[in-house]
Amino acid sequence: MSTEARFAPGDWYAVVGEQVTVLLPGSQRARVAGLWDLADSGADADALLDALLAEGLSSLDHVALVAHGDDATRLIVRGAPTAAVAATSGEEIVSAAAGAAWAERLVTGVTSIRVTLTGDGAAEHLLTPGIARVSVVEFGTPSDAVAAVPPEVPEVPVLVAEPEPEPEPTPEPEPEPAAPMSFGEPEEDPTPTGETPVVEEPWSDNDGQTQAGVPVPDFDRPPIPGQEMAPDVVSQPVASLVFSTGDVVAVDRTVLVGRAPEARRFASHDQPHVVTVASPHQEISSTHLEIRPGAGADHGSAIVTDLGSTNGTVLAQPGLDPEDLKAGIAVSLIPGAVLDLGDGVTIQVTNP
Amino acid sequence: MRNVDLHHGASSDVGLVRKVNEDSFLVAPPVFVVADGMGGHSGGDVASQMVVEEFQRLAEAYDPARGAEQVADAFARAQARIIDFGNAHRAMTPGWHAGTTAVVAVLVDDNGVTKWLLANLGDSRIYRITEGRLEQISVDHSVVQELIDSGQITAEEAAMHPERHVITRALGSPEGIQPDFFLLPLGSVERLLLCSDGVTGMIEDKEIEEILESVADPRDAADRLVRAAVAAGGRDNATAVVVDVVGLVKDASYDSQRQLESLESKLGGRL
Repeated sequence: MSTEARFAPGDWYAVVGEQVTVLLPGSQRARVAGLWDLADSGADADALLDALLAEGLSSLDHVALVAHGDDATRLIVRGAPTAAVAATSGEEIVSAAAGAAWAERLVTGVTSIRVTLTGDGAAEHLLTPGIARVSVVEFGTPSDAVAAVPPEVPEVPVLVAEPEPEPEPTPEPEPEPAAPMSFGEPEEDPTPTGETPVVEEPWSDNDGQTQAGVPVPDFDRPPIPGQEMAPDVVSQPVASLVFSTGDVVAVDRTVLVGRAPEARRFASHDQPHVVTVASPHQEISSTHLEIRPGAGADHGSAIVTDLGSTNGTVLAQPGLDPEDLKAGIAVSLIPGAVLDLGDGVTIQVTNP
Repeated sequence: MRNVDLHHGASSDVGLVRKVNEDSFLVAPPVFVVADGMGGHSGGDVASQMVVEEFQRLAEAYDPARGAEQVADAFARAQARIIDFGNAHRAMTPGWHAGTTAVVAVLVDDNGVTKWLLANLGDSRIYRITEGRLEQISVDHSVVQELIDSGQITAEEAAMHPERHVITRALGSPEGIQPDFFLLPLGSVERLLLCSDGVTGMIEDKEIEEILESVADPRDAADRLVRAAVAAGGRDNATAVVVDVVGLVKDASYDSQRQLESLESKLGGRL
């Protein structure tokens, strides 16, 4: 079987080495970088299994591993993933039976393997060694879909952890706009209860009939005007924050600081780091400021934004006069900068 | 989470127009869910029930230190089940879809500090009472919310907009799910409300605030909200879950269990 692989985008991680591919749910993000180190250095399936199991089975609810050997393909699935294996000897669906730790197969003469993690997307993007977010991964060429992959399919962004500096993620291709979904009509409901409306129905009859429309992918995280979108989470912290309270926090994601900070509208994989500081005189606002990895021209440095705090923030950059931050205006921080939030709380910015 | 004392109440009504209640809810402290299904009988009701079942499973083996991850997993499991269910149905009825919204509130342990982790998908809503004021926390995933955010219509116009029931994210969507999460300090939430759009579509925020402010018992507050929505026309299934943080139990005193049981019997087992 050729080891050519394709995938459908999703929220699982695919860690793809030359011979071994490991698939992990999005929640296992913390393991991905370490596994990639191993996979990239040519580790075999056993070495990757060792790493996967180092913290015990209980923290690893779902995983799939595909290793291409010289004459046989080894396949391990645990939890949600299912694999459809086509071999010269026939076809088989591999999934872990309820109660079993995992299902393992050593198959010779494999022609194709399709591992389904979530959904049922068409695997039409080329999967190359590196790390990708996937929902379905296909190895080899399914017999019934030889022509399904046009050769001019552009290589999709594959986040590679090395070498530094990490490449900017290229934008995903625009998803095809989907037609709005249709739903069963309530009129078809076969269980009349005899209830009648007490009011004339002045609204359209789709009332009370929530419908799913077309998702708008980039709607949810409006960037700060005039700034490029920051990456949600970066692999290497861009700075360290040394709080006067003694806390030290790495800026590898958004850091929110305040008296009782609230984090809003984040996705499960980019939960901000929330730092609570005491403010006996209430000089510090509940969510006072945000520090996050910069994007674009600010790539590689930390940027601070005062989130409209009541009493403001003073920034002293080395060699410059202290300045008041303007609410909502992001400022790039250089190592040695000190932020004063009030109530004696300061944050010193240092190299990571 | 044993050291946070939560009181809660829940109420749900099919309304006056619909024949099936497609809303489902879960109260399994510290896990609370409201889901509003779409797709009609044996569609939306099943989809919303699947969400509740997956969060029930979460509640049975809940680890507050891994709260965000477990909530994301429960969403993913519910999504997979609803998609499977839809695929099975579509084999018989092409074009058929089942989906559901979901709003979730759980207590999580964020580096040793107990906080509220809230999540939403769709147009069911999460509100809180803070300093005596009602505040909507969740942001609807709906066409009209996007029009409001881009300044094309006002909130008042949205209430009568023809596309006000079209949501842009839901469980069961073949595009995958993308829940919004919110992390709030425990002390910033005096009272939490999770409700379906059968409540918020029928009564104004002002009336919701009055009820949540004036009715002390969370069970009565949930009942009052749902009854007000039905009285206002009941055009959709209406569901409300109200949660109060009533105290932080620092330490189990020698007779705390006996006190709790005695209080429980006096209050009719709501603890």
